[in-house]
Amino acid sequence: MIHFKNIRFYYPKGKTILDDISLDFVPGNIYGVFGKNGEGKSTLMKIVAGLLFPKSGKYHVMGEAMSRNTVKYLQHMFIVPEDFELPGIKISSYEHINSPFYPEFSREQFYELLKEFKLSPDEKISTLSFGQKKKVLIAFGVATNTKLLLMDEPTNGLDIPSKSQFRKIMASVVDQGKCVVISTHQIRDLHSLINHIVILDQSKVAFDQPLSTISECLWFGKTRRDSNESIIYSEASFGGKTILSRQDKDETEVDLELLFNAVLNEPVRISNAIKNTHHDSAV
Amino acid sequence: MTQQFNIRRIGNFIYRDIVLLRNTIITTLSVVGALLLFFFLYDLRGDHIISEEEFASNFMKFYVVLGILFTFSIFREAHHKKSNLFYFSLPISSYERVTAIWLTTSALYTLLFSVFGFLIGQVAIVLGSMFSETNFHLLPIFSESYWQGVTFYFFIQPTFLLGAILFTKNRIIKTLLFVVLLVFGLFIFNGILFSIFNIGYDIFSEDQIVSNAFSLAREDFSGIGIFLFVIIMVPVMLLAAYFKIIEKEV
Repeated sequence: MIHFKNIRFYYPKGKTILDDISLDFVPGNIYGVFGKNGEGKSTLMKIVAGLLFPKSGKYHVMGEAMSRNTVKYLQHMFIVPEDFELPGIKISSYEHINSPFYPEFSREQFYELLKEFKLSPDEKISTLSFGQKKKVLIAFGVATNTKLLLMDEPTNGLDIPSKSQFRKIMASVVDQGKCVVISTHQIRDLHSLINHIVILDQSKVAFDQPLSTISECLWFGKTRRDSNESIIYSEASFGGKTILSRQDKDETEVDLELLFNAVLNEPVRISNAIKNTHHDSAV
Repeated sequence: MTQQFNIRRIGNFIYRDIVLLRNTIITTLSVVGALLLFFFLYDLRGDHIISEEEFASNFMKFYVVLGILFTFSIFREAHHKKSNLFYFSLPISSYERVTAIWLTTSALYTLLFSVFGFLIGQVAIVLGSMFSETNFHLLPIFSESYWQGVTFYFFIQPTFLLGAILFTKNRIIKTLLFVVLLVFGLFIFNGILFSIFNIGYDIFSEDQIVSNAFSLAREDFSGIGIFLFVIIMVPVMLLAAYFKIIEKEV
């Protein structure tokens, strides 16, 4: 769906935000884009959305080389930004004025999602809390039925029940063959949702692997102190949690927080562990 | 392939802009309506009629200024840090966007504000006929002054439309400065042309012959000159606004 090759972006007179970024976003996946503050997650999302233009590199969207946005692309893309302001009109008016631009928009789905989020279409958006406004936008974004859904910190501002509602909704969305890209640093909110992980560090892609590959190659858990297995990464502060090469051990749930720290601290070892396992299985 | 120019999308975008500015429009029209009503009632003194010229005079007190303010307010969403992302990610091409904005702030605005002015004037006549010796009559609005005002607005509006998208802060002041610089630039351009054509004849700008020549040229060519100026100026400004929208990053 989206193919980035050697994308570079910097602000005038500013440092490089994204350097030599090559990525592919494929339908049927929920991508989690992680990174420390200021690593370019939001910038990457805006480039994907066509709201910022890369300084160099190529990007193809739905098989076509892109230089500027086209209506065709925008009709198949919706972005939920981290920080936003919606107009002070009724939710139903918001739907009424914006939905005609999206050919696949489903009014039934939008009002169903509003009901699920316990919001009334007659409520004025200006009277809603930030979390409720975010729910309106998430519901609208899902109901646009665009092939690509971009979400920047979608769980910020959502209460605990809403976070699980959000996960449920997003899981149903991806079944319909959409591509969802979620940028966040709230790893715990989304660990059960995403199936592909991209980690940005020092303006570059430090890690880009499907969750299935990670589970196949790495083992997450606690090992005994006297264990002689070669530890790829360990954190004493988390009760001795470690990452090992999986080999013939049972599959474990991927600990995203541990993986994130491991990628930032031991990028080469993590990369080698995945490469070696893949190489072995290929042989 | 999806069209880059679709009339329905333009209509949807115009409707969207009007809904988003609904409260501003209602508040402004309430204030302007009250002022217009006062001026029209004032004009009914003496002859008990509102003439074409009186309508144009009152109408023009607000028409151009409000039109320019409307042009700036229509880009409010595009310049707001927290909402411009929705504005620019909306599936509408830059051609459609410029066309919709221009139609809204020039043709549609002129039509609706003229109807509004007519209705207020008519209310004033009805009130006059109820409380004074005014005979009910239909308000004539299409005077020469009216058309001159509309033409003037259609000529200057694209420059303000460009300023409204070009500048992010102090947009009106910067646009006025831009207009002043533009006029100054044209003045210098004329001066250079004058020098090029006349330097060989020892004629200077303060000579009487120059003044006569300018008067003659104005009489003979002003219509064509203005027409050419409008033909070039308006599309150039709209084209510049289009390119600015294309280049806009959020």
